[in-house]
Amino acid sequence: MEALAMQAVLAGDLDRSLNVLQQVESEAARAGHPRLAQEASSLLAQLSQAASGGQGGSPSPWEFISEGVLRLQQALEEAHHGSAVAPAGGPSPAPPEPERPAAESQPLARDPELVRDFVVESREHLANIESSLLALEQDPANAESLHAAFRGFHTIKGLAGFLEFAAIQEVAHEVETLLDLARNQQLSVTPERIDVVLKAADYLKAAIRQVDASLDGRPLEAFADNRNLLWMLRMAATAAAEDSQAAAGAAQPGFDGRPASGPSASAPAAGSAENRAIKVDTEKLDHLVDMVGEMVIAQSMLRHDPDLALNRSPRLQRTLSLLSGITSDVQKTAMGLRMVTIGTLFRRMGRLVRDLARKTGKQVELVTAGEETELDRQIVEELADPIMHMLRNSIDHGIEPPEERTAAGKDPCGRITLAAHHQSGQIVIQISDDGRGLNREKILQRGRERGLVPPGVTPSEAELYNLIFEPGFSTAERVTEVSGRGVGMDVVKKNIVRMRGKVEVASQPGQGTTFTLKLPLTLAIIDGLVVGVGTQRYIIPIYSVVEMLCPSRDSVTTAPEQGEMVLVRGSLLPVIRLNERFGVEARAQHPSEGLLVVAEQEGKRFSVLVDEFIGKQEVVIKSLGPMFRHVRGIAGGAILGDGRVGLILDLEAIFAWKGEA
Amino acid sequence: MQTGTVELNPAAQTDKSDHRAGKYLAFQLGQEEFAIQVLKVREIMGVQEITAVPQTPHYVKGVINLRGKVIPVVDLRLKFGLPEAAYTQRTCIIVVQVSHGSGNMLMGIVVDGVSEVITLTAADIEDTPDFGHGVTVPYLLGMAKTKEGVKILLDIDQVLSTQEVHKLEAVLQKSEF
Repeated sequence: MEALAMQAVLAGDLDRSLNVLQQVESEAARAGHPRLAQEASSLLAQLSQAASGGQGGSPSPWEFISEGVLRLQQALEEAHHGSAVAPAGGPSPAPPEPERPAAESQPLARDPELVRDFVVESREHLANIESSLLALEQDPANAESLHAAFRGFHTIKGLAGFLEFAAIQEVAHEVETLLDLARNQQLSVTPERIDVVLKAADYLKAAIRQVDASLDGRPLEAFADNRNLLWMLRMAATAAAEDSQAAAGAAQPGFDGRPASGPSASAPAAGSAENRAIKVDTEKLDHLVDMVGEMVIAQSMLRHDPDLALNRSPRLQRTLSLLSGITSDVQKTAMGLRMVTIGTLFRRMGRLVRDLARKTGKQVELVTAGEETELDRQIVEELADPIMHMLRNSIDHGIEPPEERTAAGKDPCGRITLAAHHQSGQIVIQISDDGRGLNREKILQRGRERGLVPPGVTPSEAELYNLIFEPGFSTAERVTEVSGRGVGMDVVKKNIVRMRGKVEVASQPGQGTTFTLKLPLTLAIIDGLVVGVGTQRYIIPIYSVVEMLCPSRDSVTTAPEQGEMVLVRGSLLPVIRLNERFGVEARAQHPSEGLLVVAEQEGKRFSVLVDEFIGKQEVVIKSLGPMFRHVRGIAGGAILGDGRVGLILDLEAIFAWKGEA
Repeated sequence: MQTGTVELNPAAQTDKSDHRAGKYLAFQLGQEEFAIQVLKVREIMGVQEITAVPQTPHYVKGVINLRGKVIPVVDLRLKFGLPEAAYTQRTCIIVVQVSHGSGNMLMGIVVDGVSEVITLTAADIEDTPDFGHGVTVPYLLGMAKTKEGVKILLDIDQVLSTQEVHKLEAVLQKSEF
């Protein structure tokens, strides 16, 4: 009986569910089950409210109705047990839930190694599941996505069963049943069903987070109660019969006319792609990269060996150049092993955009491009937060509500593009929306209010837009749940800068806003300037250097109690003698005998005195280890071309440390 | 009371010595012969150019490249408060694996020269004599009596983890008499 009501709700047929509920109510009252009657009538009231209010704009009456139906079901169970006489309307298709103890019982000792694998694997599957479901929502006839989601849940179910995570297994099992019906075309793919499955994915995600937390030795907390969810899944699945009848009668969104060969053809292809990848311990990878670096050094030593240089045999020369070619190829490959495509990150954003659009009542379509662009795994992980913030910003501030868009002659559905490509050794990521654009007047006004723009100064467009990255800067009139508290964009900028990247913003009123991120491909390698001080050699990361110069003797002034300063194109910069900071002997006694490296930190420029410039080199950053944790001004070590270790300077720390030394 | 127990139960004495018995790598430092457990030794290399790291204690010579890994190097002479000596052909860096926190790390120690690998039985090893006035040195495993003389057994984990090593100075000065 409640199944009938549920089916009706699922099919979006409010009238019919109202009818069924009315029947339930009167039957229950007649059979003497006051609670059942009461639940039915309250659900009836909610439904008719939803019906009169119109379902269109509201986020889906699903939640309260499902709760109501659950209560109804409980009442029904009570009625069953109480009188042993089922009220008219047929037996319940959902058998009464066995009572489960609140805490998930701890089974036999689980192998932490297996559990860790389970967590890692399940997370991967859930990420894939989510993107498959979103694709399925866009295109309900997409059998490949349906299969991918099914496979994901199926694997999780198997793993969870093996490890005796009963709650996880049950949820995965119900989803599997539901998706299987959809696969066999006994069930159409509706947004409501996708909602339920997404909810199940969220449940699994939360449960897996708990499992992960328990790996640190803490006891595993009880999983959340999954009965409501299980029941919703079952209801969504039992509506199948109804569905296929409807499908027979009228055109129904689903697998109408789609041949069964489609899925079977695509499934093996996807499966083999999964099997081609293997998991490798990062320690092994690091070791490989270390050894390849050493090989390059050994190779270069061999090439510059004076004894070999005397030997002019063409055969030897050929062999040497062959060796050098292979070496650089191996190096490139080894470095590339850490690279992953950015597509995984983009796919994660799909869910965020969908949920945010619903929450704000806007229509947003996410378009991605350049998913195959590769970059360091570490950067991909650290990019997730900044990109999420920017997308949030675009949806909340950029994209207009549908009415406003229609009034402005735009497509009511907003469009956000997430694109990535490589450009001159960097990765460029663009996030653009076709919304209303940044409000220049309001930003200027806020900037003046906060004293960021001095009175009488008209900042350039770029300067103006950069104000949005100031801490606490917000032009939102009201604080929404999504954004507008003025936290976010400054954090975005800070994160990007920490990854040695840049963020730019461009905007056209009424046309939209584009954020452009430029990042290095990897955090493991930097372009460095090798400089010498006395007998020591140091590496200065190029990104922190503004310029290098040899000062003339009269451009250097010494202020009492302050130290040396140098005049560079009209501005006075403090001079920091690196040898004094690091307590080494320098050759240059006066700045004019050495070289000044000019750097900038938070808008303040300063210069660092070194003896000489030796060359430019791409180096792999290596940690110096715990012993040198407290050393200030050193960012790490790197192996130089001759196999010696060079220290990588942290110019900002050297500058900041000035006062204390 | 402590001695009484040991006499009554000779097995305890053997057990205690047993974990110290085994193979040791002997090396010189000034006038003394020291030895560390071979199990801790990864490799021995000649002195190579060491990159100095600022703001470190004087006994930390800096870092070297060990086949692509950057590892710290400690001059054991300076660590033990002995006078600094110029590095010669005989000077070696012994790469040892020491436990650090939860994991292990590689570290180089500079010594005057490596002599040999010796096998010590429990009978060869004696506890460090008590010098009175409560001087206890945590990184001394004991003393080994060999044909060539007495060797000081070091617990290298302790040596490289303790900040204050000047106590050894006192021990060494006394032992020379």
